[in-house]
Formats: sequence, C-alpha cells, structure tokens
Amino acid sequence: MKERRGSLYLLTGLVLGLAIGLAYSLLIQPVQYTDLSPALLSTADKDQYRALIAVAYLANRDLVRARARLALLKDDDPYNALAAQAQRWLAEGKPVEEARALGLLAADLAQAQATLLAPTVATPPAFTQPPAVTAVPSPSPATTFSAEETPSLPSATLASPQPTPTRQTPFLLRKRESVCDPALGKGLILVYVWDAQGNELPGVEIVVNWEDGENRFFTGLKPELGLGYADFAMQEGINYSLRIASGGEPVFNLIAPTCTAANGETFLGVWILEFLQK
Amino acid sequence: MLGRWIRFFIAIAFGAAAGVGYGWLLAPSPPAENRPSALRIDYQSDVVLMIAEAYAADQNLAAAIARLAFLKQTQPVEVIQQAVNFGERYGYSDADLQKMRALLTAVETLTPLVGTSVP
Repeated sequence: MKERRGSLYLLTGLVLGLAIGLAYSLLIQPVQYTDLSPALLSTADKDQYRALIAVAYLANRDLVRARARLALLKDDDPYNALAAQAQRWLAEGKPVEEARALGLLAADLAQAQATLLAPTVATPPAFTQPPAVTAVPSPSPATTFSAEETPSLPSATLASPQPTPTRQTPFLLRKRESVCDPALGKGLILVYVWDAQGNELPGVEIVVNWEDGENRFFTGLKPELGLGYADFAMQEGINYSLRIASGGEPVFNLIAPTCTAANGETFLGVWILEFLQK
Repeated sequence: MLGRWIRFFIAIAFGAAAGVGYGWLLAPSPPAENRPSALRIDYQSDVVLMIAEAYAADQNLAAAIARLAFLKQTQPVEVIQQAVNFGERYGYSDADLQKMRALLTAVETLTPLVGTSVP
C-alpha cells in the first residue's frame, strides 16, 4: 500500500510538471518565428502572396521571375493553386483585376509547360479553323488534368507566347450551337475565344447573367481543354445571357437543352459559343 | 519524508521539461500564427518590389497601399525605405530600384508630417 502511494505522488508531480511546461511553452512563451520564408505563411497569407505575384506578373510579364516567386510558396501544383484561387477570388468578391492576373499567370504557366513538353514543334501550322468541338475531351467542371496528361493542346496556341486580349477590340460571336452529346458534358456552356490571328486567348473575362445572379470566369483556367476555353455549369430551366466582359455582342436565351439518350434517358445538353476578336 | 518531497519536485521538473520540449520543439505554434511581418528581409523586399511593379504599371496608389498592408507593418514608408536600402545593398537592378523609389515617393506624399510645428 505504501509503494502504491509513492508511485501516485510521483505520477502527480510528473503530470503537474507537464501541465506547467505545456502552459509555458504554448501559452506564456510560445515559439516566435522570425526570418520566415513564404512557404511558412498561413493559407490566407499565401493566397495574398500569390495574388501579389500575379499582379506583378501582369505588370512585367516576366514569367521566369513569377515562377521563381511561386516556387517560394512550395505549392504542390502551382498551376492548380493559381487557377483555383482565381475562381475563388471571383466568388469571394476580391478585386477582379487580381483574379484576372491569377488566371492569366495560370494560363501562361500552363502554356509554357505545354511548350516545354512539345519541343519538337518547330513551326506550328498556321491557324485555319478552331479545334473541332468533337475532339474536346469531356469537359466536366470537376475534372482536373495536369498538363503532362494532355499533350494534345492545339498546336496553333504554341505559336504565340503569352497572347494578350486587347480590351478595346470587341469580340464577335461566330458560332452558337446547342449539342446533345454527353461526351461534351451535361448542362454546360462551352466558350471558346480566339484573337484575330486565330490564337486562343487565355485570361479573357466572361460574364454570365441570369434573372437574379451573375457570375464571372476566365478562359485559360483549363488549359488541357484549350487556352481559349472556359465553361459554365447551367441549372435546368434557367435563362442565361453571356458576354465577354471587355466588349462584344451578348448572347441571350441560353437555356440548358433537354436531350434524350439512345436508351431513352434524358439529360442536359451543352451550348457551344465561339468568339473571335475583330 | 524529505526524500519524498525531493522526488516529487524532480518529477515536476521532468514533467515541465517534457512539456516545454513538446511545446517548443515538437508542436510549435501552427502556421496560422505566422505573420508576413516575420518574413525574412529579402522576402519582404521582394513583396515591396512586387507591389512597386504593379504600381508602376497601373499607377493605382490606393491599391498599392492596400497591398502594403499585407506586410502588417505600421508605417508603409518605413517598409518601402527598408526594401530600397536592401535592394541598393544587394544589387537590385536599376529598373527595380527605380520602381521602388517611385512607390516610396508616392506613398511619402500621403504620409502626414509627424513632429513638424504648425504655426
């Protein structure tokens, strides 16, 4: 009995000391970091840092410098981090210019990656037609690919390093078509944007409106589907209108078409909209 | 009885050492506690340069000041001056230094003069 009491008071002392030690090291005198690297910042501060990298890139178009700065954040996938943040920035009502910068940097990173992956393309063929819509992989919004998985970017995009949309030049709608093909996705608006020379344009802001809402998104955030590509998921029965933010004719009455599959099942079709810069 | 007290305090000391070791070495404060103001001087200077690059392009001083708040320093002018000094000492390019100085000048014009006597 005496031996048990002895063990208990030692255990009590140990627990008491542990509590004192934890309180001191975590509450009274916690570790203070100095000389941090950006990789050690909180997620929110990393987002801010990434946005700063993007706006600086928008100003100087120095991809090497931007890439070196992004490397400091040690993201697993810088492209996806940028693309996801661009969409999040828009959804959270952060400055549109920063969201655009994030989207553009993501697109240019992906384009540079695609160029590196296709070093044998010396003289890309001149642009004649946009890539056939039927050749586009299933564009589900939830699907993500890495650039390595999709080396089949249209070669015309490789001809133009960092195309920049000219804000003053409006875009013309050159194709509007509803398609019932589940391989293209369900209930989507697929947007393709080219400049006058036939180069796909990343970073073009697109505005979608419906009766009680608005959404903005950018081309180039899914470079595996084309740098000038963007998509938007429609709700059944809602009437949408869409326009390029920098100017051009709006497209009205976009309602998800109801389609019937071979087995009799119904599904929502897609709208394909192609814009060409004048 | 005295030996028992000694052993008790030794146990407390062991426990305290283990607690401090855990708190300082194994489970230090999470990244959420890390502030941009604790960034190393070269990273802080690069943040200022990024803001200066954007300012050089858009001339939007309000946006530049809002972005400087990221560093969570009380005086933006001091942060920029510190970055300029660092850039001069460590060989930033003239173009970069020029952008940072332009930002410094612009922010200084907005900073109220402290300590000057008003007639």
